[in-house]
Formats: sequence, structure tokens, C-alpha cells
Amino acid sequence: MSAAAAGWWGRKRTRQGLLVFCFLLPSLAIFLLYRVIPLGWNAVLSFQSWSPMRPAQWVGFEHYEEMLFYDDIFWVALWNTLVWIAAAPVAIVLALGIALLVNSDLKAAPVYRTIVFLSYPLMTVAVGIIWRWMYDERGGFINWALRSAGLIDRPLGFLQSFDLAMASVILTDIWQVIGFYMIILLTGLQQIPQHLYEAARVDGVPRHAVFLHVTLPMLRPSLFLCAVIGLLNSFTSFDLVYVMTNGGPGHATELLITYIYKLGFGQTKFDYAAAVTVVQFLLLLVLTFAANRLAGGNAGAVEKE
Amino acid sequence: MSRAPRWLLSRWVVVPGTLLLLVLGWNIHVAANATGVVRGRVVDSAGQPVAGATVLLFERSFVVNTEKQRTTSDPRGRFRFEGNASHAVQLQAEAPDGARSDRVTLRLLFRAQDADLPSPLVVEP
Amino acid sequence: MMRRRIPWVRHAVLLVVSAIMLLPFYWVLKTAITNENIYTYPPRLLPLDPHPYNFVDVWYLIPFPRYLLNSIIVSVLAVVGNVVLNAMAAYALTQNFRAKKLVVLLLLSCMLIPFQATIIPAYLITARIGLLNSYLGLALPLLSTIICIFIYKSAFEAVPRSLVEAARMDGLSEWRIIAHVLLPLSRPAIATNVILAFIWSWNSFMWPLIVTRDADMQTLPLGLARFLSYMEDTTGALYAFVCLVLAPGILVFLMAQSAFIRGLTQGATKG
Repeated sequence: MSAAAAGWWGRKRTRQGLLVFCFLLPSLAIFLLYRVIPLGWNAVLSFQSWSPMRPAQWVGFEHYEEMLFYDDIFWVALWNTLVWIAAAPVAIVLALGIALLVNSDLKAAPVYRTIVFLSYPLMTVAVGIIWRWMYDERGGFINWALRSAGLIDRPLGFLQSFDLAMASVILTDIWQVIGFYMIILLTGLQQIPQHLYEAARVDGVPRHAVFLHVTLPMLRPSLFLCAVIGLLNSFTSFDLVYVMTNGGPGHATELLITYIYKLGFGQTKFDYAAAVTVVQFLLLLVLTFAANRLAGGNAGAVEKE
Repeated sequence: MSRAPRWLLSRWVVVPGTLLLLVLGWNIHVAANATGVVRGRVVDSAGQPVAGATVLLFERSFVVNTEKQRTTSDPRGRFRFEGNASHAVQLQAEAPDGARSDRVTLRLLFRAQDADLPSPLVVEP
Repeated sequence: MMRRRIPWVRHAVLLVVSAIMLLPFYWVLKTAITNENIYTYPPRLLPLDPHPYNFVDVWYLIPFPRYLLNSIIVSVLAVVGNVVLNAMAAYALTQNFRAKKLVVLLLLSCMLIPFQATIIPAYLITARIGLLNSYLGLALPLLSTIICIFIYKSAFEAVPRSLVEAARMDGLSEWRIIAHVLLPLSRPAIATNVILAFIWSWNSFMWPLIVTRDADMQTLPLGLARFLSYMEDTTGALYAFVCLVLAPGILVFLMAQSAFIRGLTQGATKG
């Protein structure tokens, strides 16, 4: 800071300070109320035995013990969440393919882009209902197509089957988010300086080598971004599961987030749900940092001061 | 002069404006045609009008149909209900000699829309 | 020769992709406008005897206007809150003050906490302050977004400092500087914020599900989920409802497509 600015700052310190405080207050209050305090309260709650009608009691690691050693559903939900995360790379690779196709001098490219992206901003609840209908045993398109093609002879209850339900819901999720990944990757592709390609062309580098050594490294920040979004998505995609299967059949599509909801608002076990939340949050943190490490440095850092 | 039209021609004015006009027009249309009159005719299987047939009007509520009104057809087989408040009704006629017609569903575009039954109710013994 | 042939392959692949993306919409629309018996197999590919009566049924069978109104109220609250509060916070962050580093750090770490992840205490807090089942309670967590604060901040920083100083010399109040100097020059940031706030509040489902008690306070996504639980997949009215719910979103998206895409990518790259 220059001396002049510092002087100006000094003179108006109180007024300016007050102003800054007043301007920041509403936003900060909301973040405190809905991000910071919940996190702390959640941590406290997870060590207590508490329900709305009873006074709180410290129980130490009891909930964690129950969760880790006795709760099979928790492990199923954890596993399903990891499966959901593992599906993100598939979606990202598909999206990369589409982005590469759209990122060309095709005249119709904007139309394709719009169509592929269209499903992303739509209400997830509605998307879930649409796909329930697509998967339907009698009226659904998918069963009709498979049967007409002679691939199956009896209709498949995609969302009612233990083996297929998870894959079906994940496919729906991919259908919805793929456009978003594509747009991110497209933006990344367009930011690659053209002269790199020119240079490669002049040197006679084959196309696949250009892709491996120019495009992919340059796309790393965008790919990382997609990965983080996929990660966050797996911890927050409550809507789709709730509408399509509500965790069923059995707990075949239970995610941590739906399990937390059921524990808290179905069985009013707020304390136990809080313990599951802590585990979910730690998992999220670890995976985010791992992804950050993989992408090499602070690609996800928001704003450089 | 040149500013106003440009502002008016923005799609953020044109599209909501058009929608608003459509909604307004539709509402006027609804208000003008929502007196709840349902008209129709009753004929027998030979196509002759049936006089004095009892016509029932059922109203659909969620999953069941409940009888709301009944009336009698005039000598030319015509009947007329007033004050229908539903958007989906079913009509059934019963001739004096006991012959009945099928229940015909009449779906309307809005509640209490004035409507003519497109084809007459045919009573069959 | 090569140049002419390659686009056809690309078009073919992209057409298949487009078909996969659009087919579900068509399938639902087809069902919404036909009387097709959903227990018959095979389903018809083309709508037979299209009619609008499923839409009429939806309009009267469920309090659709009420859901719509609730959704609009919550979205308007969220959008207005976002634009105002984020601009204020971002302006504060362009100033120099002692705890700035700390505040920025706090905001950045808050961004790592997905709101849905702490839904249990968030619910308990809302219950404590007595906002369950109210519009404010529905909108409150959405009233300010960290990503958008940073988007505004960089937009404000792009405004030449001399302009702000000149305005200050002229004796404009801070409010007026924001409203008359900074905001008009940050239109893309505003558009981004409006769009993000709109889709987040319009589509939000889990929070309203937890916070609302009465059918009177339900928003469109809740109404849809509730209708689904009554009707299961058996009626064209359900799909007519889906179409009615999706139509405004698709319309807004098509109208503001470039701003929309820019907004989302900006929101993402900053987040």
C-alpha cells in the first residue's frame, strides 16, 4: 500500500471501518448461521445423546462406534457414495469427447452445445420423474427400445432391481450434469493459446500426440474443476435419489446424504445423523485435497489476492 | 424516439409481454364463457330423440365420480344443465323404459366452461 | 476431400448425443398430451389424439398456482437478497481494512462446506429462530453466496479506481457509488448472480422439504414430489405437471443462454 492510501485510510478509519462492517455484516451473518455454526454444532451433537425432547448428554464416541462397527446401512451408503464419485470420471471423459467435437468450426456447434447443456439447469426433481418414466417397465422408452431390438425378452424393472438401480440413477445423474462438464471443458479448450497448436502443426506432431502433450496438460485446471464438482455433487445429490428410488430397493441406492436425511427427519435421530454428517464431511475434505494434489497445486484456489 | 422502441423490442419485454397478453386474453375468455351450461341430446339406438330421459351429471374429484345433478330431456331429446362447476364431468342418460346409455366423459378446458356434448347420448336397452 | 468428410462423422456423433439428450423430454411431453394407457405395451412413439386435458387436470387437482406463487416468492427473495447483499459485501472487500485477510479466509473456507452437508443443525437453528415454515426461512440460507461475492469483487476491481475516487470527491455517498458507478459497470456480474441465485432457489428441494410443514408453503419441486407420491407413475397428469414445471426454466434458459452459460461457468471456476 502506498503512503498516500495509508494516510487516506488513517483519516477516515472509523467511518470506513463502520461502513465495511455494516456492508459485510448481513452476508457474514448468513454464512455464520448456515455454514460455520452448523458445522460446530454438528460436531458437538455427534458426541451427544440428544433428541428434541431430551436434554443433551455427553456420550463420547458412542455414535461413531455404533456407526462404524454395527451399522451396515452406513457402510452401504458410504460405498454407494464412493461409487457415485467413481462415476464422475466416466462422465468427464464423455463430456471431454463432446467438448472436443463441439469445439470446432462446425456451424451448428452452438445448437449442439445448447442441446447438450439444456438438461443441466433444470429442476432435478423433474428430471428424476422424467427418468422414472423412461425406465418404466411398460411405458418406458428404454425397455421398449431394448425389447424391440431383441436384447431382452422380459421388461427390466431398472429402478426396482438391486443390481440395476444404482447404475440407472447414476446414468440419470450423468445425463443431467454432462452438459455442465462439457461447458467447463469447452471454456478450458477455448483458452488454450492457438499458437501452441500452430507450433505443433509446423513441427509435424501427430494429432494424438498434440492431444496428449498440449491439450490435456492445458486442460488440467478444467478437469480438476469437473472432478471437484463431481465430488460435491455426490455429496449433495439428494433430489435425484429421493425422487427416483428413495434409497431403495432395500438400501441399494442409499447415499450418505439420503441416509442422513432419513436418520434425522425420518427417525428423529439427530445426534446419530450428526455423526454420519461428520464422517461425510471429513471424507469430502480428504477427497478434495487429494484431487487438488492430483491436479498439481492450487488449481481450485478461488481468488488470488 | 429511437430509445423507446429498442427498449421495447428487447426479448425480455417482448416474451413476458406476449405471455402476459395471452394470459389476460385467456382469462377474459374464461370469464366470458364460464357459466356452467352443459347441453346435449339423448337418442335411442335408431337415432330417434328420446323424451323424458333422466340425465345424470357426475363430477370427478380426484379418483371417484359423484353424482351432482340430474335433469330430464325435452320432447326433442335435448337436455341442459346449469351451474356445472367442474372441469371434467361424466354424463349418463336413462330412458323412461329403462334403457341406459354409456357414461360419456366430457372434459373441459376450464371450470364451468359452457359446453355442448359433441355427439348425443345413445340409450340402448 | 478430407475436410469435407470429417464434419459428417462429427455431425452424426453429435446428432446421436443430441437425440439422447432430447429424447426424455419428448417422451414426457408425449405422455402428457395423450390419453395413453400406461399399462399397455408397447408404448406409442408418436402421440395419438393429442389433447390438453391433462394440463387442465393438473391445474385444478393440485394447488398449482399456489406452488408457483411460493416458488416465485422464494426465488425473488433469493435473487434480490443476493444482488444486494453480495454487492455490499464485495464492495466492503474492495476496501482496505485490518481484518480483510481473515474475512477472505473465512469466506474461502466456508465455500468448502456444502450447505446440504450440515442440514441437521441448519434445521435446528432455523427452528430455534422460529423461521420454520416461512418464506424467509426458505430463502435465508440462499440470500448470499460466497462465489458471487468474489465474482462481484473482481468486477468491482476492474472498474478504474480513478472513477470511484472522482465520484467520492464529488461527495457521492457509498451507496450511490455502488448503485451509480460500480453496478452499472458490472452488468455481467449481476447477470451471473441473478441467474445462479434463480436456479439455486428455483430448483432447491432438500431445504424446502425440511423446512416447510404446510401444503400452503410448498414450492414447485415439493409439490411435484408430493404429486408423485399420490399418483406414482400412473397418470398423464403427472407428466403434464412436469412439463409445466420445466417450461419456465427452459424458457428463461433459452432466452438468456449465453449469460446463463457464462454465469454457471464463472460460478464454477470461481468455486
